[in-house]
Amino acid sequence: MTRPRIPAARLRAGVPALVVVALLAVILAKGDYRTNFFSGGGFALGALVAAIALGVVVTYRGSGVVNLAGAAVAMYAAYVYADLRTHGDLFLPPLPNPLAPIEGLVHLAGDDSFTVPHWPTSVSFGATMGFWPALVLALVFCALFGLVLHVAVFRPLRHAPVLAKVVASVGVLLFLQAVVVRRFSTTTQVVGPLPFVDKTQVDLGLFKITQEQLFVVCLVLVLAVALWALFQRSRFGLAVRAAAENEKGATVLGFSADRLAAATWVLSTVVTGLLGIFVASVNSSVDPNTMPALIVPAVTAALVGGFTSFGWTTLAAFALGMQVALVTFLGANESWFPKADGLPVPGVDLLVPLVVIVAVLALRGQSLPTRGVLGPGRLPFSPTARPWALRYGGPGLAVVALIPGVFFLSPAMRDGLTNTLTGIVICLSIVVLTGFIGQISLAQTSFAGLSAYTVASLSTHHGWPFPLPILAGAAVAVVAGVLVALPALRVRGVHLAIATLAFAVAVDKVVFANSWINGGFDGATVTTPALIRSQDTDTHHVLGVTIGDGTQPNPLTLVFCLIVVVALGYLVANLRRSLTGRQMLAIRSNERAAAAAGVNVAAVKVLAFGVSAFIAGVGGAVIAYRTGNVTPDKFLYDKSLMFFAFAYLGGIASVSGAVTGGLLVGGGLGFTVLNKVFGLPDEFVLLLGGLGLVVTAVLNPEGVAGKARTDLLALRRRFRPPTPADRPTPADPPTPADRPTPMDPLTPTDTATTITEPTASATTGPSAASTPAAAAAVPTAAATPTAAATPATAATPATASISAAAAVPTAAAAPTASGSAAGTHVGGSAGATPAVAGEAR
Amino acid sequence: MTELLRTEAMSVVYGGLHAVNGLDLRVDEGRLVGLIGPNGAGKTSFIDGISGFTRTQGAIYFRGKRVDREPAHRRARLGLGRTWQSLELFEDLTVRENLQVGAERQTVGGFLLDLVRPGRHRDQSDVDWALDVLGIAHLADRMPTEISHGQRKLVGAGRTLAARPALICMDEPAAGLDTTESEQFGRRLRRIVEAGVSILLVDHDMGLVMGVCDELYVIEFGTRIAHGTPAEVVADEKVRAAYLGTKAGT
Ligand SMILES: Nc1ncnc2c1ncn2[C@@H]1O[C@H](COP(=O)(O)OP(=O)(O)O)[C@@H](O)[C@H]1O
Ligand SMILES: [Mg+2]
Repeated sequence: MTRPRIPAARLRAGVPALVVVALLAVILAKGDYRTNFFSGGGFALGALVAAIALGVVVTYRGSGVVNLAGAAVAMYAAYVYADLRTHGDLFLPPLPNPLAPIEGLVHLAGDDSFTVPHWPTSVSFGATMGFWPALVLALVFCALFGLVLHVAVFRPLRHAPVLAKVVASVGVLLFLQAVVVRRFSTTTQVVGPLPFVDKTQVDLGLFKITQEQLFVVCLVLVLAVALWALFQRSRFGLAVRAAAENEKGATVLGFSADRLAAATWVLSTVVTGLLGIFVASVNSSVDPNTMPALIVPAVTAALVGGFTSFGWTTLAAFALGMQVALVTFLGANESWFPKADGLPVPGVDLLVPLVVIVAVLALRGQSLPTRGVLGPGRLPFSPTARPWALRYGGPGLAVVALIPGVFFLSPAMRDGLTNTLTGIVICLSIVVLTGFIGQISLAQTSFAGLSAYTVASLSTHHGWPFPLPILAGAAVAVVAGVLVALPALRVRGVHLAIATLAFAVAVDKVVFANSWINGGFDGATVTTPALIRSQDTDTHHVLGVTIGDGTQPNPLTLVFCLIVVVALGYLVANLRRSLTGRQMLAIRSNERAAAAAGVNVAAVKVLAFGVSAFIAGVGGAVIAYRTGNVTPDKFLYDKSLMFFAFAYLGGIASVSGAVTGGLLVGGGLGFTVLNKVFGLPDEFVLLLGGLGLVVTAVLNPEGVAGKARTDLLALRRRFRPPTPADRPTPADPPTPADRPTPMDPLTPTDTATTITEPTASATTGPSAASTPAAAAAVPTAAATPTAAATPATAATPATASISAAAAVPTAAAAPTASGSAAGTHVGGSAGATPAVAGEAR
Repeated sequence: MTELLRTEAMSVVYGGLHAVNGLDLRVDEGRLVGLIGPNGAGKTSFIDGISGFTRTQGAIYFRGKRVDREPAHRRARLGLGRTWQSLELFEDLTVRENLQVGAERQTVGGFLLDLVRPGRHRDQSDVDWALDVLGIAHLADRMPTEISHGQRKLVGAGRTLAARPALICMDEPAAGLDTTESEQFGRRLRRIVEAGVSILLVDHDMGLVMGVCDELYVIEFGTRIAHGTPAEVVADEKVRAAYLGTKAGT
């Protein structure tokens, strides 16, 4: 179907194209811009971004997953390769030693000499390894890893809501990063050069480039062409495209949809891994943070290519990789470049993907999904707080935390509890946004950080007294939240996750790494009242009890955090019970229906972002006061991912889930216990978090708290005689957006004439569209008005039902009962078209 | 009779396909108007168009006001309600909460008060009325996943009704109901009209449509082929041709 080009559409395509052309013209026209844009380093970075982006497109086309861990795979492959080259070791993920708890318990019992056998950490292949064996082994490893991702993670999730897939890929990302940090720490690892190319400069006229760089660029271009050929010109590609339309499509071509998805996973991990290895070799180094963050430009490029086009994706990826060097040059040399305190603002190169994402999404997005666009799918159930929970839950929990926290816990545990409390606040902000209204934000700690720096500045440099900076910080966070919400109005699901991730990465550099804001090396000091200052060791005597034992942290800091947690917990619980909460859940399940019910979807979304950012902002302010010193590391994008992980683990849709999430969070009570009692090192936090996130997404999307609640309900049901209200009727199969409905035979009130539909065959879904409709309209159909009760003939092939319809008029009225017919029919387009109806006559 | 809804040369175009092609249609207050046509005739597209879920050409007047550039939620608040052909309930909310979303309007003050006292008393008379008219009061506290298909259809209608709209456009509300249910549904429709809500009814159940409607529009390929009382429509040559074409042809 060709779309007539209306002026608005032409404008939408034209303006961005013009902007791009103009930018290119400027770059080409100015000599020093050109040399910096077309620099060897820029090309190498562009090649890596392109490879990651190609991997993202391949997996998306094969399995519909936007793999946010794509870039982490490149990093992981580089580490595997580097370790093989230098030590001949294939390192294994440092999964927790299953015997560790035994050791911990024995130690707890007092016998410190007891140790259990060590868990193997690597497989050794001798001293060092040559280039080719190491490369092949590392790629085999990548292929296996891709297979595992498919079989263990994304195949079980293939019918899961978008949220679950995003969550799982975030889990994989955290896991890979944690494994590497655990094995090699965060320091840079040296990678040897490639044997067949070196650093000799090659002069290509327009620019100079080293052999190595030229090699990776050519390799990526070849790979892009090869992938294009594979997808557009081979039977495999045809099958993948058919499978993307519907699962049966591939089967017709003799491929199993499942195998195809597995193949695309393997393909993408191998391509990404290969370039990860080569670019690390070209750069001579690899570290756990730089490469995974490249997912932002890579996904941006994939977005430009619509997650389908290899050509556009590659082009955009190169452009996004190459602009980095240019922006750095501009910052150093141009007077108009934004400056902070005389220095160029850092991270402007990271704003470029953000701008591109927002532009692409704003141009392509829609304020309401069209008919046939499937919603986000079911999210975990969001319970309303029971009256007893509201009345006793908050105070009860507060007391449970307060008494031991103030009087009994050791300093380390007190610290853990305080981390849990601040973690709960961040998790609560995620509950509102993701749990209630179904919007995925991976930038929650950016909001918190913005608030924290506001607090630092106001309390120290402007002399604002204690509680006021909290409100100001929260207000700044709200402004940021509302800004992020604006693209969210036209974007949903994984696209929103991408946009917020890009926002978080940009804020990390532009704001948090900006020495004008972050207070340089020492961080930004927060002037805290002595009463709640964490470093304060005074004891206080209130009503005859002594608070404080002369050690840090100050127990009153904990009390302060607790008060905030309880207040915000009630805020969120109340929100769920209120009309706004109902509207949020309505939007979460169905935006179109919510709008039809008079809900201003855009306004409620902005409100949700505002409330969520407010909570996160208060959380950031509390963290600021609690530590007395704001440092960027607490608020970087990976912390957002971590909090998202733990909020989802705990239970994304309820206050109890946020509390559970807070207990699990890194540095929180749960890990402090594991750390102190079982000696589990800190790096395991992320490892277990990532792994737990994947497992939760796959096996238990309701989260820990949700699971506990359903188990409890099931238990209660067992001990009560079943009443009809208790028995949940199995849910209807998902109703297609617009199911063609067969007509019923009719009985006109005053004549004997019967009106029947010409397109009776429309009951059989898409295939019916191509079948000349058998208009078996026999007037006597009226004689059997009960036909609607005929059992649904869901799986009847089109032809069969048509012949049946022709023979027996009643058959036409068969399946309507539960939407079982036409199960694959999505959207209105595949139904009986007028053309078909025309043929019928 | 006072006019409630009027479309003038309204079209809905998907790509190159005119799903609705220059349709003039009018619904007066207190009337139950039927809109019928073969599958793919453009009935759902018409409802999508007037309720603001797809872009339209031509003019749409509702209660004397031109609404074709208003967003969907604002049209709903003006009193132009609709139901969906497929069940589009809020699966995470109870039946009563589903209706409450339709019935209640949030204000800034109300939002702030909600954060402090969410449980405060609310006027639920519209919700109760809608539950009652549709006979689903006993289901109020159930989840949509726990009730039968027919009941879910009623909840969908109830959600729109609870907003006390002036006009409610129903997209195949009786699909999937058996004969007795459908007859009962017809009586409920009349009660709704008596309560002052006009209805634009799209359905394939001709027994229902012929039995309850005051007037009927018949469309095919997005254009109107007939308009009149049910008796007039049934007698119409073009309608007979459209519906009984094969028979006449063979
Ligand atoms: N979103 C859409 N995109 C393209 N074509 C559509 C879309 N929705 C409906 N159509 C087409 O518009 C025509 C009218 O459909 P519809 O309004 O659903 O008819 P009805 O409700 O009378 O069965 C059909 O040919 C259908 O295929
Ligand atoms: Mg329809």
